[in-house]
Amino acid sequence: MELQRIDDFEWSVPIGTVEGMRVPGIVFGSEDLARRALDDRAVLQVANVATLPGIVDASLAMPDIHWGYGFPIGGVAAFDADADGVISPGGVGFDIACGVRLLRTDLSWEPEVRPKIRELVAALGAATPRGTGAGGRLRLTRAEVLRVLRDGVGFLLDRGVGVPEDAERCEDGGVLREADPEQVSERAMTRGAGQLGSLGAGNHFLEVQVVDEILEPVAGNVMGLFEGQVCVMIHCGSRGLGHQVCTDHLATMDRLMRSLDIRVPDRQLACVPLAHEAARRYLGAMNAAANFARANRHLLADGVRASFESVFRRSPQSLGVDLVYDVAHNLAKLEEHELDGRRRNLCVHRKGATRAFGPGHASLPPVYRTIGQPVLIPGSMGTASFVLVGTAEAERKAFASTCHGAGRALSRTQARKRIGGRELARQLDEQGIVLAPGSPRLLAEEAPFAYKDIEEVVRSCEGAGLTRTVARLRPVGVVKG
Amino acid sequence: MGEPRTGFAFLEHTADVGIRAWGPSPREAFEQAGVGLAALMGLTARSPGRATQFHVDGVDAGGLLVALLDELVFRLETAEGEGLASLRITRLDPTSLQATVELAPMRDPVEGLVVKAATYHQLEVAERPEGATEIRVFLDV
Repeated sequence: MELQRIDDFEWSVPIGTVEGMRVPGIVFGSEDLARRALDDRAVLQVANVATLPGIVDASLAMPDIHWGYGFPIGGVAAFDADADGVISPGGVGFDIACGVRLLRTDLSWEPEVRPKIRELVAALGAATPRGTGAGGRLRLTRAEVLRVLRDGVGFLLDRGVGVPEDAERCEDGGVLREADPEQVSERAMTRGAGQLGSLGAGNHFLEVQVVDEILEPVAGNVMGLFEGQVCVMIHCGSRGLGHQVCTDHLATMDRLMRSLDIRVPDRQLACVPLAHEAARRYLGAMNAAANFARANRHLLADGVRASFESVFRRSPQSLGVDLVYDVAHNLAKLEEHELDGRRRNLCVHRKGATRAFGPGHASLPPVYRTIGQPVLIPGSMGTASFVLVGTAEAERKAFASTCHGAGRALSRTQARKRIGGRELARQLDEQGIVLAPGSPRLLAEEAPFAYKDIEEVVRSCEGAGLTRTVARLRPVGVVKG
Repeated sequence: MGEPRTGFAFLEHTADVGIRAWGPSPREAFEQAGVGLAALMGLTARSPGRATQFHVDGVDAGGLLVALLDELVFRLETAEGEGLASLRITRLDPTSLQATVELAPMRDPVEGLVVKAATYHQLEVAERPEGATEIRVFLDV
């Protein structure tokens, strides 16, 4: 298997790489990242996705691509919604609408926050349920779960949690109206009832970060960012509720594929035509789970505001603890894109990829319409995170998509073999990064060297024209899932 | 091979974790996969507990295995403070299985991973002529 160079940041996976490819594959990234994708076998998965019915243009991979199951992580694929296109729960993943939220503050690292960082991280740690089996900040009744699934962030706003701007500054205004809670199983609701307002585990985190550098002053200013400023980034998803939604609908489609006579090279790519009743049901459930994910991050952000209030003894409003934006990086969406000179209705799957609309796009909130959609890229623990903006070129080249993070390079066991959790905690402390108490094992598995170089990923996205880099943030406090 | 006749081991995957499970019969290999899942989640209970029966369906052996593991993920995630004490597959047909699961309180909590679900990715249930069975399944963690 090989990649053909298109330019410095774009590589082609030709039709014929695997049998039955309907379109070519395209991998975005520097030569080094593209080569790693080959070694990782992720490119084979890009080629496998290209065999699915109704796929248009190309099966895409973002620079942070790595081997997943079925779809690669960092994969983007669009299917024709007006013809024979399909939807695949595996192309969204189990953690539906996993994503990132960034909160800004008016506070500067020096002199305001640095002396209080240990106190602040302790408060954030106490306000953030996390790890295995952790209950959330709220325990919901069945009726309340249904309202979260239908109303997303609105459910919490109605209860006086947060401010209306928190909804406006979410991708989709904080709620996907297409959600159909009736398609969410009792099991999924049972898993979700106790988990609203919790991080979960794995690579999820809540970090206190300092804006290191502003690279695009105009966009930075519109987002309320300045150098030396303290921000908080939250990375998490839809918890057990979303996992169960994927499990349920994947099992249904795995069964249905036989009667529909759809053949896929990897069973995890199970899919059905968008016109099929099962596709409608999955989309309704997936959107409901996305509303849960958005509400989950909203509720965690409420804990952040409460923590700042308790440590700095001023109201969150007076401290300027405001939402910058909230993005999802595991989602499928029905979107209109221009392809070969005409508008097409497509179902765009982004698995480990972020939507990145350019300036002027109608679905952006007015405040960001001139600069393009903010894109939030969480680094691995102890490394920088980034704020980017979408471009018109991303709309032309990649169905308005870009990367989602660093992407794993080492397996969990490999990471644990290299370092113990306590040693890693000590090293982070030496770098001036304060850590809230958590599991040493899970910590070691998320060691920074287990991930690709985030700087190279972000540079590649810029090189490929998918996003422009607005700001670089470095961590000073970590609450790990 | 020097391996016991029945057992499980974890497999490497860049972002996720797999289980290899084997036994002298498909039933025992399925049980080992379930025991391995609980071990991965850090939810293995040492004392006898309350037993419940359940059954799952699938289009084939692989589908049944994924359905079994997803059933256990659900039970373990929602049984707060409890772990897997025992798992017995009481009936295994081509498209359905019946099992008895015992959950018991966890005395000494162990660190484990949050398992989101079992996947169909590179799923394999390989049955040898004499019935010995080897399973490979990847989990999303």
